[in-house]
Amino acid sequence: MTAWLLFVLAILVWVVARQTSAVVAAAELDSLRNERSLLEARRAQLLRRIRSAESRAVLIPHAESLGLRLPADSEIVILSAPEGEDR
Amino acid sequence: MARPQLRLHVVQAAFGVALLVLLARAGQVQLLQGSRHAATARSQRTERVELAARRGTLNDRNGTPLALTQRVYRVGVAPNELADTNHAARLLSEELGVPRAVVRRELAEPWAYFHGPFTAVQVQLLLHVRGVYPEAELVRFYPDPDLARAVIGRPAAEGRPASGLERILDSVLEGTAGSAVILRDRLGNMIESPSGLGAFPVAGHDVELTIDAELQEIVEGALAEGVEQYDAAGGDVVVLNPRTGEVLAVASVDASGRSAASVFTSVFEPGSTAKLFAAAALLDHGLVEPSDSVWAEQGEYRVGNRTIRDEHPNGWITLTEAIEQSSNIGIAKFSLRLTPEWQFDQLRGFGLGSPTGVEFPAESPGILKAPHQWSGTTPASLAMGYEVAVTAIQLAQAYGAIANDGVMLQPALVREVRAADERIIYRHAPIPVRRVVSAQVAADLRSMLHGVVYRGGTGETAALTSYELAGKTGTARRAGPGGYIPNSYTASFASLFPADDPQLVMVVKLDDPKGVYARVTAAPITRNVVERLLAAQSAALDRTRLTRPRAPASTDAAIAAGTVPYVVEWPAIERADSAVLRSVPDVTGRSLRDAARVLHQAGLRVRVDGWGVVHSLDPEPGASVAPGTVVTVRAAERRPR
Repeated sequence: MTAWLLFVLAILVWVVARQTSAVVAAAELDSLRNERSLLEARRAQLLRRIRSAESRAVLIPHAESLGLRLPADSEIVILSAPEGEDR
Repeated sequence: MARPQLRLHVVQAAFGVALLVLLARAGQVQLLQGSRHAATARSQRTERVELAARRGTLNDRNGTPLALTQRVYRVGVAPNELADTNHAARLLSEELGVPRAVVRRELAEPWAYFHGPFTAVQVQLLLHVRGVYPEAELVRFYPDPDLARAVIGRPAAEGRPASGLERILDSVLEGTAGSAVILRDRLGNMIESPSGLGAFPVAGHDVELTIDAELQEIVEGALAEGVEQYDAAGGDVVVLNPRTGEVLAVASVDASGRSAASVFTSVFEPGSTAKLFAAAALLDHGLVEPSDSVWAEQGEYRVGNRTIRDEHPNGWITLTEAIEQSSNIGIAKFSLRLTPEWQFDQLRGFGLGSPTGVEFPAESPGILKAPHQWSGTTPASLAMGYEVAVTAIQLAQAYGAIANDGVMLQPALVREVRAADERIIYRHAPIPVRRVVSAQVAADLRSMLHGVVYRGGTGETAALTSYELAGKTGTARRAGPGGYIPNSYTASFASLFPADDPQLVMVVKLDDPKGVYARVTAAPITRNVVERLLAAQSAALDRTRLTRPRAPASTDAAIAAGTVPYVVEWPAIERADSAVLRSVPDVTGRSLRDAARVLHQAGLRVRVDGWGVVHSLDPEPGASVAPGTVVTVRAAERRPR
């Protein structure tokens, strides 16, 4: 009789442990999902800021305010990279 | 005694009957109706939900994201479940950016709903507030919403149909939704059930477009400025790589500055840009040599009941000059040597009258009538670019064939498709449509286009100082419902850059510009785009193939002022006699940029070693070398003493 009781108790403990670990895993999954969403939202926010900051509409007025201008094509000299070397 | 015994039996019988009824009912519920009740119970405590698949990302050719999918939230609130309504109202207002008064008004209702959408950052602090129920949703996000807007389009949403590439690539991008079973407690709260996952959602494929985001921005900016400057009713620009057919940039705007997709969908009569196709037919059939002449009637020529005029009257004029000076009479007279079938076949060969096959919905095929529908003046009209209508992408494709030694390629907007596991599903390879003209004829046509810009032709305003482009202007009357609109024109410029080894084909078209002629409207826009592109870091241009610049005009000025002791035939680098040696200029002490410029002007190639101020050269200054010799320039940072 005692053996049966112990057996039933062990089964119950095993079931509870399984359920607990499932709930913990579910909570962890939920937390990771939220974290991922958070990071994606931050990435999107940063992407938007980067694209805006590097756009010509922002850069060119800023460069002009610093006294710079768009070079004429005659002022652009393209240097050939040394052959056989990666820079 | 008997009475109590009787009562006991009665009670026992009653209990027995009750037990039987109970057993019968239990049997009915468990055995007869068991499956139905089990299904009801399951439906009450579980729910099958669809797991949305992430839509694939659209990137430009360099991996810059143009459209991606982001998880956003809408927030529902049950006010009666809030522990502290004032605190919740303040939190909702601060985190969601909704005015406090609006939050309070919503919270007065039995169920408050904030539509948003809100980002994960905004709802982060609300996730664990009792009574607040954020609902996650995947939505499309565009880092730069205005960039290539009409081409990229938008997916279908809230009754709005899909458009652009989001529409045509929908089946590639959308992915496959998954499913899961979740548990609900007796209060209706959802409990994640790890064992209840039916199928994982499969994300859509990522698509890399052929568009170059930086060139796209340059093109959109130049077009918007051009439309404003010339007070045009709209315009299109398309840039493609003639060696691959890849569309690198495409922009269209209307007068209000709104983005459109008219490059693919809107047709116009090409005018003089189509003269090149007549020349191609004449050369390809061996009917004319570029140097053959016709009498250009001093500017006025009558065909049937129609009078053709030239802006600049000419006498005898060669085919090359007819193209360079855009002579209507010249090309009309030359085209008389073509049969209607030859002329039609050549235009058809260049893709006119049929869609290009680019991956864009509702592409227009343009208009090209079959010879049996022609009138007596149609051959002359077609030679001048009338009675035929093209889209800007068709014109670019046709000029692309000339740039690509006569082989026409199908234009493409999709460069690569990758699955979520990085597996490559599709990679673009050039798709030859047909050979339109021989390589020799294509070279002759490119030479004519070069002359349009650099031999006193109509495209001089597109000329760059150091690098050469070739192109053809076109100014055509605009047609309306009742015929041609008085004083209304379409100005276009189709160009190849650089002229000798084209990497780009560009078509610029303006609708009803106030400057009228293409040479004062569309051609300068082309020059602006190329100048900006040269100054940018865009990978759309292979700069290693641009190392033989045309000598700058400043040298001409120096020659005229007598500041140089000799004059070399122009351009010095290309035509220099390789047998004539020259001395290496002394550029020590100069900046690297100045040194390179001087050495290039001397017809020498430059190899750079280090950065800063030049301290030595190899070969040494003064050494006699052949043109094109590589001079190693050694430079170092100048250190403060």
